[in-house]
Amino acid sequence: MADNPSGLVIETYKLTKIYQNRQIALNDVTLSIEPGSVLGLLGPNGAGKTTFLRLVLGLHRPTAGWVKLFGKTMSPNAADLRRRMGYIPTNPQFPAGMTPITYLDYVARLFGLTSDSRKPRLASLIRAVDLLPVSGEPIAGFSNGMTSRLAVAASLINEPDLLIWDEPTHGLDPEARRSMLELIKRLSREKSLIVSSHNLSDVDEVCNHAAVLSRGQLIYNGSLQDLKGRMRRNHYELDLEGDQKAITKATAAIKNMTEFKTVSLKQRRLELRLNDDSTNTSALANVFMTLADSKVTLVSIRSVGQQTEQAFLDLVEKEESRGFARAYQVEEAA
Amino acid sequence: MDIPAPVKALKINRWLPYLAVLQSDMRQTQRSWVYRLWVMASVLSAVGYLLYHVGVYQKAGMVQLASTVLSDLLLWTVLGSVTLIIVLTASCISAERGTVADSVLSRGISRYQYFMAKWHARLITVIGTFLVLGGGALACSYFFLQEDLSLMGSIVAMLTVALLLMMVISLGVTFSAVASSTLVGITFLWLLVYGVGFLLTLLPARFPSPYRMLTNLPHVLRGDYSLHDLGQLATYSGVLSIGAALVGLIIFSRRDV
Repeated sequence: MADNPSGLVIETYKLTKIYQNRQIALNDVTLSIEPGSVLGLLGPNGAGKTTFLRLVLGLHRPTAGWVKLFGKTMSPNAADLRRRMGYIPTNPQFPAGMTPITYLDYVARLFGLTSDSRKPRLASLIRAVDLLPVSGEPIAGFSNGMTSRLAVAASLINEPDLLIWDEPTHGLDPEARRSMLELIKRLSREKSLIVSSHNLSDVDEVCNHAAVLSRGQLIYNGSLQDLKGRMRRNHYELDLEGDQKAITKATAAIKNMTEFKTVSLKQRRLELRLNDDSTNTSALANVFMTLADSKVTLVSIRSVGQQTEQAFLDLVEKEESRGFARAYQVEEAA
Repeated sequence: MDIPAPVKALKINRWLPYLAVLQSDMRQTQRSWVYRLWVMASVLSAVGYLLYHVGVYQKAGMVQLASTVLSDLLLWTVLGSVTLIIVLTASCISAERGTVADSVLSRGISRYQYFMAKWHARLITVIGTFLVLGGGALACSYFFLQEDLSLMGSIVAMLTVALLLMMVISLGVTFSAVASSTLVGITFLWLLVYGVGFLLTLLPARFPSPYRMLTNLPHVLRGDYSLHDLGQLATYSGVLSIGAALVGLIIFSRRDV
């Protein structure tokens, strides 16, 4: 820790990338990642996720600001820092004519691993990712799942402290996806990870931190729990049981309540949308009272919408609705 | 997937990334169609040219001086091959631009090491191949034609051509690291090499010109060489090659990939 006084794995400060004075890909991103974090990098297409990862890897140079890894500034020549990282791109490309053994050997040599270290390591990894039967076959004929497993092995060959996986479940079948998520969970016990994904349920399952990018700007950086806490809880579905007339009567009574924007009944499922200024606890308490008075049984109640997804969409929507107000905030902050 | 736990600390050799790219690039170059076309065209044209002169010498009895035949062969092989060598070198980095970032530069290698490995790999492959082919032609000329070759003169002649090729290769690798696309790099380098080569022939004889050096090869092969001229060429070639490589290195280490 002596060479890393902050103790942070990644630290960025006012990180900005403008391509050829034409496109602002990333704007003023300041964030830090602590050891042991699993950061979910979220954002719609073109939000700047890949640009951010490339800046962290030193493949691109920042137009302004800086990136520090393990307390040292990242640059295109910082091979020592990249030796502590494992990277999987969105669609891993492999050199033509190589087999898993020759490819992993090549990658290990790119990390500077001596023969004594790399040969046993690559053999163990090939076995671990279930590529032993095809270890001498050309990679060109591999399926998506097999190439993903090979990319995982390549990203782990140098025993990195930080893993950067860009869309690791992209193009995988459900079984392979499940296996990949389990692997991330296992790795997160001893390593720090950045997982960029469009699949919000994946992020929800494996990450404990989230960073949300929108049009190159960081609009959220914090724990996943806090992100979910920002979600508007104003849409509920209630499954009811009892006499149909009693359910209809209770629904009519609920429709008269001012807390709700819409109330609709489809067979025995009651759908409620609260007004933005309503408090969900008191509104739902009134609903329960009405149902109890009408002798209707509540079978189940759920908040509608996948939680992380809803929170993410809310954030992006909120950011976009601010319009020119964003400029005032910048002025105020300055 | 059950990832194995590390058993002991990994040993690192900081030169291995450079060696990995060097070896991989040499293998890759030898598998490329441009390289194979260059070797095949050079071998076929040399064999055909030598057979013709051997036939004229042995059957018709007309004296065919090895120095003249070999220098012609070197001159036209070099002039013809330069285009293929330009294609071979000016594409070495730019042709991989789509995959090099994700598959190589995201690993534990610096841009400096990557560029140097590419530059050295192309120098070794192209100059090594030229020396092997030229050595073969030299041996054939020595045994089958009117032998008037001097050993030192032959070495100087081969070195002269190798030094000229070194400049083209270094410029090619630099252009491939700097140019926005392979086609642009090849086009500019081709215009530069042939254009400057032609312009230099228009200058007075005291100025060095690649064409004049190549046409002087018969004398050099017979032993009429100047080590001073060779040293001067080595200096020019070294300065230009290292200068070009430095420019390429600096630009490549600062650009986005």
